[in-house]
Amino acid sequence: MIELKNVRMCFDDFNALDGVDLTIPEGTAFGLLGSNGAGKSTILRLLSGVYKQTEGEVLIDGKPVYDNVEEKSRVFFINDETVQFGNMTLTDMRKYYRGFYPKFSDETFDKLNGVIKLPEKKRLDKFSKGMKRQAIVITGLACCTDYLLLDEAFDGLDPTMRIIVKRMLVDAMLDRKLTTIISSHNLKEINEVCDTAALLHQGKLLFNRDLDSVKGSIQKVQAAFEEEVTEKDFEGLNVLHFERNHSIVYIIIKGEEAEIRAELEKKKPKVLDMIPLTLEEVFIYEMEGMGYDCNGIR
Amino acid sequence: MYTIDLQSRTPIYEQLYKKVVELILKNELKTGDKLPSVRELAKSLGVNPNTVSKAFQLLERDKVIYSLAGRGSFVSDVNADNVKENALADFDKAAAEALKAGITRRELIERLDGGERSGEDNA
Repeated sequence: MIELKNVRMCFDDFNALDGVDLTIPEGTAFGLLGSNGAGKSTILRLLSGVYKQTEGEVLIDGKPVYDNVEEKSRVFFINDETVQFGNMTLTDMRKYYRGFYPKFSDETFDKLNGVIKLPEKKRLDKFSKGMKRQAIVITGLACCTDYLLLDEAFDGLDPTMRIIVKRMLVDAMLDRKLTTIISSHNLKEINEVCDTAALLHQGKLLFNRDLDSVKGSIQKVQAAFEEEVTEKDFEGLNVLHFERNHSIVYIIIKGEEAEIRAELEKKKPKVLDMIPLTLEEVFIYEMEGMGYDCNGIR
Repeated sequence: MYTIDLQSRTPIYEQLYKKVVELILKNELKTGDKLPSVRELAKSLGVNPNTVSKAFQLLERDKVIYSLAGRGSFVSDVNADNVKENALADFDKAAAEALKAGITRRELIERLDGGERSGEDNA
């Protein structure tokens, strides 16, 4: 289990994380979402022991991560930067990580590279960006850690590689209860791969929930009423967005479907259509609620 | 045969639940038939195994399938009626909402008679 307790992370006068509490149970595939600079990578770097938090606690199974070799050997971090290891070959990487990670599996490594067929004797700085990413992903999966952190790593992979990684994750989740934390802007992928997700904005956590309930947490309503209505008529509801086009209104309302429906029925709508939002829409409207939107640019 | 729409707004576990029910109603899955494992389904659909497990748990709760430890999940015996009842209850709910929204009975009947892709009609 991963626990962040009231974590603050400051870089000079910038608060990258501002009091984050987060618990991630074992065996979860966890999606970290957030605007650019929200603090996603900072969380991953804290969990892999790259940074030490300014305040609060970062624990893996109850033990602090920073400066803790034993806990760190249970975590593999696939960084979004691929500049490291430039002077290494794939064979060097295998040896290097085999020394660090007690459960390193040559079998997994060979099985994966048997499919992907990266040259093992070529220096990594001669690889393309995508190939470098592949090399790190192969190595990360072969380390057979209990925790795998992917920082936008999915985004650099080709469709075949994505399927391979997804299948490897399924096996690892079922066989050894792997916990995966994936930060990404690709919400479609998060929707497929993850079961739980958190949304960060400016160093604060906006929500941390089961993905299915995230999607059901905001409703898109299309309705028409006998009498003319304005935004004021819906004051009792948590309206995120209101738009009217002649007699039809489009409202985005935060809350459970049944409650909202009951409330709207009272106004005797002629038409009432409700659909849950996609993850992408939830992201956009939640951010809009925080004053981060695209409405200034049309 | 276990196809789902990853772009859909409907949660993946719910789609999978409905898919299994649909396959039973269409008689493509029969009593005692073995379902694919969570692992196989998660891999072939490219989704999280926890999501597949969730669908299986709900199917088991509703007695549509049953699990034997170490052997897998199988289609239950008594389900056909239950499943039909559930499907009809869903239909009633949708029809009631449609009527409330101002769609006429005639329109609904016409819709049932014409152009339905399901093919069979047992009415």
